[in-house]
Amino acid sequence: MTRLAYGSVILFGIAAAGLGGYGVAGGAGTLRLTWLVPLGGIELTLDPLGGLFLALIGLAVVPASVYALGYPDGDTGRFAYFVFVASMCVVPLAANTMTFLIAWELMSLASYFLVLRDRESRESIRAAWVYAVMTHAGLACLLAGMLLLGADVGSPRFADWRAAASALAPTTRDAAFVLLALGFAGKAGVIPLHVWLPLAHPAAPSHVSALMSGVMIKLGIYGLLRVSLDWLGVGPPWWGAALLIAGAASSVIGVLYALVEHDLKRLLAFHSIENIGIILLGIGSAALYRVAGLDALALLGLIAALYHTVNHAAFKALLFLGAGAVVHATGTRNMEAMGGLIKRMPWTAACFLIGSAAIAALPPLNGFVSEWLTFLALFQNMRLESVGQNLVFTLGIASLALTGGLAMACFVKAFGITFLALPRSDAAAGAHEASPPMRLAMLALAAACVALGLGPTLVVPVFGAVAAAVLRTAPQATGGDWLTLRVSGEFASLSTAAIAVVLAASFLVPLAALRLVGASRRTRGYETWGCGRIVQTARMEYTATAFANPFKRVFDFFYRPTKRLDIEFHPESRFFVERIEYENPTRSIFDDWLYRPALDLLHAGARAVGALQSGSANQYLAYILVALLLMLVLA
Amino acid sequence: MFRQLRTALRTGIVTEPVVPAGELERIGERLASEVARHFGRSLAIRQVDAGSCNGCELEITGLTGPHYDLERFGVHFVASPRHADCLLVTGPVTRNMAEALRRTWHATPDPKFVVAVGDCGRDGGVFRGSYAIVGGVADVVPVDAVIPGCPPSPAALLAGLLEAIGRLAR
Repeated sequence: MTRLAYGSVILFGIAAAGLGGYGVAGGAGTLRLTWLVPLGGIELTLDPLGGLFLALIGLAVVPASVYALGYPDGDTGRFAYFVFVASMCVVPLAANTMTFLIAWELMSLASYFLVLRDRESRESIRAAWVYAVMTHAGLACLLAGMLLLGADVGSPRFADWRAAASALAPTTRDAAFVLLALGFAGKAGVIPLHVWLPLAHPAAPSHVSALMSGVMIKLGIYGLLRVSLDWLGVGPPWWGAALLIAGAASSVIGVLYALVEHDLKRLLAFHSIENIGIILLGIGSAALYRVAGLDALALLGLIAALYHTVNHAAFKALLFLGAGAVVHATGTRNMEAMGGLIKRMPWTAACFLIGSAAIAALPPLNGFVSEWLTFLALFQNMRLESVGQNLVFTLGIASLALTGGLAMACFVKAFGITFLALPRSDAAAGAHEASPPMRLAMLALAAACVALGLGPTLVVPVFGAVAAAVLRTAPQATGGDWLTLRVSGEFASLSTAAIAVVLAASFLVPLAALRLVGASRRTRGYETWGCGRIVQTARMEYTATAFANPFKRVFDFFYRPTKRLDIEFHPESRFFVERIEYENPTRSIFDDWLYRPALDLLHAGARAVGALQSGSANQYLAYILVALLLMLVLA
Repeated sequence: MFRQLRTALRTGIVTEPVVPAGELERIGERLASEVARHFGRSLAIRQVDAGSCNGCELEITGLTGPHYDLERFGVHFVASPRHADCLLVTGPVTRNMAEALRRTWHATPDPKFVVAVGDCGRDGGVFRGSYAIVGGVADVVPVDAVIPGCPPSPAALLAGLLEAIGRLAR
């Protein structure tokens, strides 16, 4: 039964990818079922941008479902999984408000049930609750924005909005942009609307986390693309600037939180926030360049954003699947209880390493190419004239550079503490390799990371065509020959294939040269250097906490760490310590300064309004009388 | 982070101008040329405290300061014996440190050489015969050169290193 369920989802995914590919290639089609639901009926349209996201969903669903076949908890939540996948596929095809909101809400509800897989644990219930609240707050914004536009344009169809966008009043457009962007940003996990992400991703089973992080939050990006570049036409510059600033904040803050996080899946969730930020940098720059009339640069920014979207789906899905294999093998998500897994799970470790290198933007893998393109798009801000816009771009450049370095440090930690050295717990010592379907899924995604990194000259023209369709400009030759990618004429070029060859040669040539000159191949085996200690145990290893501590100190104004030290002395002498408990937690400024005051305000408001509801029927009758009188007077 | 920046800005530069030392420069230049000849331009030293009173360490630390500035001669201290060409061992070898010193020696890749520093490192010094020590450095690992003194001055350390390299080359 499980096989049948996931097998059919795999076929569905392949079909979706095929249809999406047809859309990217320029195929178009419309399906209209007006009798099914009121207010415009169901209407689906295939266009290049929707096709790209549909293909992305389809291609991500296949490995996730293959993985689920081998995942021990795969047989729970099959129905919700199917609904989740199907509704995600409908979102990028939806052509009117009704269709879009039905698919969007189904997607949210199905993923809510998947997050709430463990109905016994308080943690899981809280995660699902926060997720439900945040996603519905986002839905409320979307609904308001779409109804506003629908009422103003007089049609719920997105194609009509596009046609009427330039004729709309600026205030209406701005209001619609703010509402829709807030709704989509909540789903994408943009700071400060990110709070649900680090709770929901760890609670869901890993193949679902991979889809939620790899694909579902990308639908938030899809929405932001539609809002900022498509439905509302060419907007004022502050739209792009707002997106750029949100991207800069998300990327830096996401990676800062990831650095001090020792729950493997939460760490990955924070990295999703970071990567959403990087994608937003590309979208924001595209929007700003488009306003300034620099179509070629807008195209470049959008290509970078789309490329990073696809790349993030590949490596983040890979990392979540790898983390799932590790969590299943060790029974914990706490990195401090792992270690030594590279010997016990070599396949998982190799795939996780490829994913880590890709997300840390190391050449020649895919993360590098898209971050490089994003950098190039940002660096060409010198062609803009406005000082304010240039400052915003500078902020984006600085934050992207900082993010790159911190992400590197974070994945040294994530891979090193999890997979290297001695096992830190019995569970880690007894870990076992993932089952064959899980390995197959991870290998496929690792291959995708390598292919997307080595073949930018093949994929960039595809993204270029999609971006040109969105911006409605002529697709420019951003390609180059088959090995070297050239950007904006002679501005910059890159050949990841050449980098790969040089890297491989720097490793192989010395080996070959040593053999040629007849160097001695004698080796000497000796234990790992442990500062001369006689006994080495896992307790002497570097911990994730220790690794993150320097960052905690440098950025203490952001983390605001608190220290708690509990020492229990021997009853007879203070010189003998029985037990030491040390805690060094960080506090979230968003919880303390944004959500808590907002919730307190809400509670206070509710209490004030609650005074009206006394339970006395006489009072209620008085209310009705007053309301009636008011109505009569006003009318 | 802001506190650190503020302190750095407020404190300013506190070092004094360097006074050139003639004798030191000459030893240093010769050391640099020897290091360049025999060690591919850089000599990596791992310092091991096998039970020293830290008098020798104080002088060794002086070598890395702005006055002597050992690194300009191509000699530098490293954080692991895995990176080292030379072990600079101080102090009488106490019982507790004997095994650690042996392991450090094993962990240092070949070719390597060992320099015992100070009178204690030579033969136990004032601690000779104590129940707490095993003896001089040479009683635990093979020693290639000895720099005597209690403690040897940084200039003596430089001269001793130079001599040790010269002896090895022969």
